[in-house]
Parts: sequence; structure tokens; C-alpha cells
Amino acid sequence: MKQDYTLELAADNNFSVLNRIINILNRRRVRIKKLMAHENENDFRRGGVIMLLFTTPDLIEKITVQLEKLIEVDSVKVYQGNSEYFELSEKIVDVD
Amino acid sequence: MDALLTKTEEKTVLTEKEKITGSEALLKCLVAENVKTIFGYPGGAIMPVYDALYGYADQLTHILVRHEQGAIHAAQGFARVSGKPGIVFATSGPGATNLVTGLADALIDSTPLVCITGQVFAHLLGTDAFQEIDVINTTIPVTKWNVQVTEAKDIAGAVAKAFHIATSGRPGPVLIDITKNAQNELFEFDEYKKCDSIRTYKPKPQLQIKEIEAAAALISQAKKPYILAGQGILLSGASKELIAFSEKTGIPVASTLLGLGAFPTDHPNYVGYLGMHGNYGPNLNTNQCDVLIAVGMRFDDRVTGNVSKYAKQAKVIHIEIDKAEINKIIKADIAVHADAKEALGSLINLVEPNNHSEWIESFRALNREEYEKVVHHEFNSTGEIKMGEVINHLSNQTNGESILVTDVGQHQMVASRYYQFKNPRTNVTSGGAGTMGFALPAAMGAKLAIPTQQVVAVIGDGGYQMTVQELGTIMQYKIPVKILVLNNNFLGMVRQWQQLFHGKRYSFTEMVNPNFVKLAEAYSIPARKVEKREELQDALKEMLEAKTPYFLEVVVGKEDNVFPMVPAGAGVADVLLEAPKSK
Repeated sequence: MKQDYTLELAADNNFSVLNRIINILNRRRVRIKKLMAHENENDFRRGGVIMLLFTTPDLIEKITVQLEKLIEVDSVKVYQGNSEYFELSEKIVDVD
Repeated sequence: MDALLTKTEEKTVLTEKEKITGSEALLKCLVAENVKTIFGYPGGAIMPVYDALYGYADQLTHILVRHEQGAIHAAQGFARVSGKPGIVFATSGPGATNLVTGLADALIDSTPLVCITGQVFAHLLGTDAFQEIDVINTTIPVTKWNVQVTEAKDIAGAVAKAFHIATSGRPGPVLIDITKNAQNELFEFDEYKKCDSIRTYKPKPQLQIKEIEAAAALISQAKKPYILAGQGILLSGASKELIAFSEKTGIPVASTLLGLGAFPTDHPNYVGYLGMHGNYGPNLNTNQCDVLIAVGMRFDDRVTGNVSKYAKQAKVIHIEIDKAEINKIIKADIAVHADAKEALGSLINLVEPNNHSEWIESFRALNREEYEKVVHHEFNSTGEIKMGEVINHLSNQTNGESILVTDVGQHQMVASRYYQFKNPRTNVTSGGAGTMGFALPAAMGAKLAIPTQQVVAVIGDGGYQMTVQELGTIMQYKIPVKILVLNNNFLGMVRQWQQLFHGKRYSFTEMVNPNFVKLAEAYSIPARKVEKREELQDALKEMLEAKTPYFLEVVVGKEDNVFPMVPAGAGVADVLLEAPKSK
């Protein structure tokens, strides 16, 4: 059964990191409902992505390890549902 | 590395030093990484690097190929037999996109490469300048990592990272795209520092002793344990550990396509080759074993067949360095996320000595059945020459000790089935990507990596013509590779599928071929064609004894098929020994 998942990624803020992340989702044909990418406020060399995805528990597991495998990706946190997406993205907006 | 970032860091003040160009810095970095051989092809956007290379001829040997695809496959062959990263130079635009197939091939087959591509001036990026292609975005899906460098001072850091990433963990190809201004720029080059860690990259998992203990307990009580050995054994240099482990536990070992050579084929515990055209015993017994120990392999669909019918009765232990491969296709009961050498080295101390001779005999009995129905006919035909007998003679004449480079198709499956590999890193083939045209350039690279080894490229008439231009490179550098083309004037594997599954509708698979002997001779390569069985052994001997490159064409049965075969969509236990009777 497909459901909402919130993914919180921390990564180095290089050119092309976002493309690498999106590529993995596209290749698995995972639907992205919302996405927010940002530089870290106090260190522009790092950044993050918060995504609201709609997919199956099986795929989310496989995607997570594939995202973790990306050289620049530091960590991937997965939350069920969409509430974390709104909480996390609000925090980013607040900082900005 | 400022160029990689969205803002510029403060510059540190360097003491006065002699300035060099970014291009020369690149070459100094390669020399510091102990690079000796580069495969490449020049062009506008990489001319400064080639200009610098002119002055480094005493330290770096550059092989001018005839097409960039030839360069990258040569680098793959070089890397696969030597374990060192293969190095490629190409220009921007089409030069870079011609690398894409090789990058994809190297990524799926875990081959370490460092590719350097030239790029247009930084101020022209994104303007559709001449020979400008967005190489970074084009190659993201086919590289382990890539980076664009737009300032000379960032070259050394990028090269250091590239070598570390390409060669650590599960190896793979990396690409550095360097804009022309960065190649030209004069700057003060500091000492080259190798990279041994990257904050966000953890290539070597910490061995979890709990996992090893759980695996050992399961193995010790197993009645029918079974080892599947993949290329991970070769990449981690774990052949000795695998042999010792198999000998202590008495567990039979089968090999994947890329694992061939990891375990000697003449070892009493070796039971055969896995997969769609693998041996009968290894495929059938996958669904009989009680514990499946997969080491350094990724359960490719050519190995598993239909996964819903794959080893359902077995507990699966998966030893694998790439976490994304664990539970990707086959659910592991015990996942050992580790380097194969470390895991086997640790596991061997915890398992009980055992003997599974009856279980091994069950493989032998099935393989005897295969021998009677398939192999015997392949080796003892009186009609047209069979591919199998050619490979059998080649294997006997070389004692299974040559480096065998194969292309993709029927000849590849036949070579993998009948060449009796004895040593690690002697089998070079395009596995995951199935790239026709791989073998000829890969064989050149393999020969340049280990000139003392006999290197034989076995190729079909279709794949041969995909990269046949590399005969020019072989001629220019006098690379004594042996080229064995098994010619059936067909795209044989596609034709086999058309025969078996498409009602013998041979849609565009028959080929009218040129005179291959004359073609080789045009490149000053001694050549011979064999159509009669009586000449075969002598021709092979002549080929193997030649001190020069040598081309041998063997005309084989036009409509011969490769069996056994697991039909598409079928389970491993449904492996066929012969074509199903037509309705």
C-alpha cells in the first residue's frame, strides 16, 4: 500500500546533489508530493532536502539505502506520514 | 574545493612558488597516484592537458584509441585484471558522451575508473557552446561520483577524491570534468595529498560480530549449505579465504558470471557456473539447499530467474559490501554488511569442520546429466564446428590460465561455461550491462596491464564489428592480443530467442559480414580463418604461439543454441537442457 513518507536528508551542498537525489526517486518512479531544498544557515557548504513522498514501505526502504549510498549524502531520516514534512519545512522557512 | 560550492571561501595566502598550469597539475596528481597508462582521445576542450602530456611522455604512457568507447573499455580491461583504476582522457561534448556506455558498464560491474573530460571555458557553460554538453548531469546515473572543476586550484582535491571513491568500498567509475580555463590557468601548485576519507562517505562497513556469529551458527547446523561466489570475492582479494572456508566446512561453491576465477574450477568443491546458461546442478540445487550463502554478489536476474520461485526453502546469508544490494532482490535472513575477505576470514574461525560429500555428489549427478545431453554433443559433433569445442580446445591448450576477455552473447555464455578458469582476475566480460563491443578494447587494456599474460578475446561476429576500429590501436602499439571471432553470421543470442520464443521469425539478426581476415590484414595483423574441424587445434596453437597480435576466425554452426537455458520468466529449477518440442 502506498502512503505518505517524509524524508529528511542532510548532505554536502555541492552543485548537482539535488539532481542525484531526484534521479534515484525518478528511476524508481516514486512520486514526490512536496520538496524543499536548502543551504544550512550557518554553513553554506552543507545543506538538506525535505521531501514528502508517496510510495510503498518496500520502496521507501530500498530508496533510503540508495540515497545513503550517494557520496555527498550524510544522513537520511524517514518518517511515516506528512506531519514531519510540515514541521521540518516550517523550521527552514522560519530561519530564512 | 571552492568550485564545487555555491559561494567562495576565503583564499589562503600561499608562499611564492613556481606557477604551473592546471593541466600540468592534473598530470602531477596522476603520477602521484602511480598512474602509468592512460587511454584517451584528444579534442578541442582537452588540448591543454594533451599539451602538458607531451612533456610527461617519460612518466605517463598514453594510448591513442580510435573511439572514446574503445578508451573506456580498454581502461575497464586494465582495471579488471590489475585491480588498479583505469584512466581515461576524453574531450568535451561527443568525446564525453562516447564514454557513457563504458561508465554504465563499469558502474554495474564494479570497475574502478577515473575519467577526465575536457569542458568548454567556464564562462561558456550553459550557452550551448561548440562541443558543450552537460556532462555532469549526463553521467550522474552512470558514475559512482562525478565533479566539475572550473578553477585550477581545485584539480588536485578533485583527483584525490576521485581515486579514493573509485577504488574504495564497492569500486566504480568516477568522472572529473575540467573546464578549459582551469586547464590553462597558472597557479601555485601545492604538494599533492592523497585522500583517505570523506566525511559523508563510509566505504568500509564495520564488521558486526553478531552477524558473523549468527551466520556461523546457521552454517554449522545446515544439511545442504551452498555458496554462491560473486565478483566481490575478486574485488576484495578473498579467493584464498573462500577456498579455506569451503574446505573447512565442505560446502559446495558455484560461481556467478563475474565471479568466475574466484574459485578454481578444478577444485573438488566447485560445482559450476550459475545463471541463465549456467550448469544444471547449480541452478536446480538452488531450490534444494537449506542455507544459501551469497558472497559478494547481487542476485542479478540472470542468476535468479523468476525471484518468486528462487530458493524459497532456504535461509539466505548475504555477505555484501554494498548495503543497497542487501534485501534489494532477495531478502536476507542474515545480512552481513561487510567486505568479503574480512567476513570470510572471521567466519572461518567460528564454523565447525564438516563434510557434505553426498550433497556435492547431487550436483555432480545433475551435471553428468547435463554432460550427456548437452556438453557431450558440444564437444563431439561431426557436423559444423560448435562454439563449445572451440572453447574446450582453447581451455585445454592454455590450461585455463589465460586471461579470457569475452563480449556479449552466445559466445560469452559458451566461453563462461567451458573455459576452465584457474586463477582470480582472469575472466573479463561485460556482465550487468551486457555491452556488445566490450571485448576487443577491454582485451587491449588487459594486455597492457599485464603484458606477461596471454590475453585472448573471444568475440562474436556482431560484437566484433561494434568496436572493430580498435584494430588500429592494436596495430599502432603492437599490442599482442589474440582475437578469436566465433562467426555464425548471426546475432546468435537474439536469433536463439527468436527461434525458441518468437516462432523462428528471424527479424533482422542475420548478418552479411566482410572478409574478416582481409580486414585484420589491412591492419597488419596476421589472420587465419578456420572452417574445417581438422584445422581447428592447429589454428588455435598458431594463434597462442604468435608473438604478435593475431586474428583467428572460426566459422561455427549458424543456428546452434546455448543450453542449458532458464527461459525468461521461469524459475531456476525450470532450467532446460534442450529446446522444448515445437507444437
